[in-house]
Amino acid sequence: MLFCGMCVAAGCQRGDGGRSDTSTAVVTAVSANFPDNSNAGHLLVAGDSLRLIEHEEILPVGFPSAIKPILIKNPYEGDKRATGVGAQLFVAYNCLDCHGAEGSGAMGPSFQDGRWHFGGSPGEVFESIYQGRPDGMPAWGGRISNDQIWMLTAYVRSLSSKDLSTENFTGKTVERTGH
Amino acid sequence: MSSGPQATSAAATGTGGPSGARIAVAHAGPAGEWQMPAGDYANSRYSELSSITPQNAASLKVSWAFSTGVLRGHEGQPLVVDNTMYVVTPYPNVSYAIDLAQTGQPLKWKFRPVNSQQAIGRACCDVVNRGAAYADGKIFYNLLDGHTVAVNAATGAQVWRTKMGDLSRGETITMAPIVVKGKVIVGSSGGEMGVRGWIAALDAATGKEVWRAYNIGPDKDVKVGPKLKTFYAHDRGKDLGVTSWPGDTWKTGGGAVWGWISYDPALNLIYHGTSNPGPWNSNQRKGDNKWTAAILARDGDTGEMVWAFQVTPHDMWDYDAVNENILVDLPIKGQMRKALVHFDRNGFAYTMDRATGEVILAEPFVPMNWSTGIDLTTGRPNVVETKQTAQDKLVKDICPSLEGGKNQQPAAFSPQTGLFYVPTNNLCMDFTARAVTYIAGTPFIGGNAPEKGGPGGYRGEFIAWDATTGKKIWGIKEPYPVWGGALATAGGVVFYGTLDGWFKAVDARTGKVLWQFKVGSGVVGNPVTYTGPDGKQYVAIYAGIGGDMGLLIAGDVAANLPYDVRERGTTLPDIARWTSWGGELFVFSL
Repeated sequence: MLFCGMCVAAGCQRGDGGRSDTSTAVVTAVSANFPDNSNAGHLLVAGDSLRLIEHEEILPVGFPSAIKPILIKNPYEGDKRATGVGAQLFVAYNCLDCHGAEGSGAMGPSFQDGRWHFGGSPGEVFESIYQGRPDGMPAWGGRISNDQIWMLTAYVRSLSSKDLSTENFTGKTVERTGH
Repeated sequence: MSSGPQATSAAATGTGGPSGARIAVAHAGPAGEWQMPAGDYANSRYSELSSITPQNAASLKVSWAFSTGVLRGHEGQPLVVDNTMYVVTPYPNVSYAIDLAQTGQPLKWKFRPVNSQQAIGRACCDVVNRGAAYADGKIFYNLLDGHTVAVNAATGAQVWRTKMGDLSRGETITMAPIVVKGKVIVGSSGGEMGVRGWIAALDAATGKEVWRAYNIGPDKDVKVGPKLKTFYAHDRGKDLGVTSWPGDTWKTGGGAVWGWISYDPALNLIYHGTSNPGPWNSNQRKGDNKWTAAILARDGDTGEMVWAFQVTPHDMWDYDAVNENILVDLPIKGQMRKALVHFDRNGFAYTMDRATGEVILAEPFVPMNWSTGIDLTTGRPNVVETKQTAQDKLVKDICPSLEGGKNQQPAAFSPQTGLFYVPTNNLCMDFTARAVTYIAGTPFIGGNAPEKGGPGGYRGEFIAWDATTGKKIWGIKEPYPVWGGALATAGGVVFYGTLDGWFKAVDARTGKVLWQFKVGSGVVGNPVTYTGPDGKQYVAIYAGIGGDMGLLIAGDVAANLPYDVRERGTTLPDIARWTSWGGELFVFSL
C-alpha cells in the first residue's frame, strides 16, 4: 500500500495504445521497420514504483521491504535491430534537436556523459520518456507505443559512456591571439 | 565635460572619422542612471559619464560584487534608478533591488515570480533573460515561461502578471521589454520551436494587452494596412505573410521577436527584428518566408507596420535578424541621414534610412562567404550558389556560422568618435538540412550545423566600425566569440567582456586595451555605467557564461565531446580550462 502512493511507473494509468496523433507520416514510416506487435510494454503493472525497487538504499532503515521485487528489464536491451529503430525514432520525434546529435546535449541534457539527472537504469529512462520530466521533457506515454519507448530507451542508454570524473587540462594550449 | 547627447564630434585616430554624428534619442532619465535595457531608446549604449578616461582607466578596481544565486547564462544588464540597482537573473527570473546608498549594498527587496519549470526545456539557447525596463515607479520584465510582470520598484510587490506566450507551443520569453508611451513592448522566443512570432504591447498600468502583431500570416494579423510603405517593390503585395510560404507552413514559420527593440519618438516608430524561419530545412518552406529574418518598423501607438525590410529572404543558414537597430543621425555623402545601423547575423552591417527602410549601404563586418554583396537596387543579397543549404546535402565551410557575425551581444555607439563598437564572432559551419515534422512543444529545426573557427585563427573580434563608409577602423582579436555587449562612454573609454572571463576597458579612438580584470565566470552580459551616491562613476557587468554559445558549460555538459550541433571541442576549444559556470555581478570604479 505504501508503494502505491508512489506510483509513477509506465503503464500505471494508460494502456499501450500506440496512438500517434502527431507526425503520423514519419512515425508510420519508422515503425514499419519494426512491427509493433510485441507485448513487451506490459511488463510493468499498476502500483510498481521504479524508484523504490531499483534503489533500496533510499528506504528508511527498518522499512518493511517484504514486497516481491520486480525486475524491470528492457525487452530490447542489447538488441541491435531495436536499438537501430530507437535511433530512427530519436530523429523522428525531434529528440535529437533537444538532446543533440548522438545525445551529446543541447537544450536538453547529454546522454553521453554518464550523468543521469533522473537515473540511468532502463526503468528510469523509460519513466523519463513515458511521463516526461518537470524541466521540460515532454511526456510521450500514450502518444507513442510502449514498445517504441523501450527502443528509445535502448538507444539512449547505448550512447552513454563512463562519467568523466576528472578533466585534466594541463599540457593543453589553445591558440590565443590579440592580447 | 560632456555636453549630453549632442556631444561634439571628433575624428577617430587616423581615419578622419564621421563628423556631426549624433544619437537620435537622448539618454533616459538623469545621465548617471540606467533606466532602459540599452540606456536609451536609440539603443546606443552610450553614457555621458566621463570620469573614467584613457589616462586613468588602468587604476580601475573592484568596488563590490554580488552573487545572483543562479548558475546559467547571464545575458542582459542591470538597471540603476534613484540609487537602486535592479538585477534580473536567468530562469527562475528572480529580481533584486540593491540599495546603493548604504555601505555593503544591502537588498531592498527580492522578488521570486511564479514561473513554470517546464520552460527550462522549451528554451533553445539556455534559460537567459536580457533584462528589465523601468518606467513610472515599476520594473517590467519577462519570464521564461511566457509571462510579463510588473513589480513595484519601491516595494518589490507584483503589480501585475500577464500570460503572453504559450509554453505548450514552445513560446518562451527571453528579451528585454521597452516602455513606449505607457505601453510595455514585448515579443516571444521560439524560432527553433515552430512558433508563429509576434510582438505585443501591454498597458503599463494594468498589464492588459493593447495590441498584438504577428510577423507571419494574413495582413490583418501582421497589422499591414494603409500605413505600410515598403521601399522595395518586391516587398509589396497582399498577404505576403501567407503567399510567400507553401500551404500552411506559415503557421509554424518562426519569425520570433527575441532581440532588442528601439524607438524613435520623432517618427513615432518602433523598430524590431524577426528571427529565422522555421524549420532550418528550407526545402520545407520554399519562398521568401515573409516577414522572417526581417527588420520591421511599426507605429508606436498601434503596432501597424510602416515599413518592412527582409534582411535575408528565404534564410537557409539560421540568420535571425533580431540584432539591435541603433538609431543615429549620420553624415553620409555630405548629407545628414536619419540612420538605423544594424549588424546582422548574416555578416553584413546595414546602414539604413530609418524613415523609409532604404538600405544606404551594406558591407561585411566579419569574414563571410555565403554572399558576394548586397544589391542596393533591391536590398537583397547576392547568394553564392555553392553555399546554399539543402535537404540531405552536406554544405561545408559556410561563414559566418549559424551564430552569425554577431548575435544578441549588443553594439554601442559613441557620438564623440562617430564609431560603433561591435562584439563579433568569427565562426564557420558545415550544414546538413534534414526533413523534420512539426510536433508541438518540441524543436522544429531539421538541420545539423557543427561549427569551427573562422579564417585567421581567432574566433571573435571586438571592432570599431564607421557606418558612414562601411569600414572597420580597428579590432581586438579574441580567442573566443565575443558574446558580451559593449558600452561607450563620454570619457573616451569603451568596455566589453569575453567568454573566457576578461572584462576590458579600451581606448575608444585607438582600440588600445587600457585595463582588464578576470571576473568569476565568462561574460555574456552587457556593461552599464552609473553615478553612485558618492558622486563617483561606476561600471557594472554580469559574469555568468551561458547563452547559446556558452550553453554547454552552463548546462554542465562534459568537456570536449566529439559530437554536438554546437560542439565545444572545435567551436570553443579548451574553454572549460579558462572559466566555469557562475552568476555574479561585478562593480568597478577608480
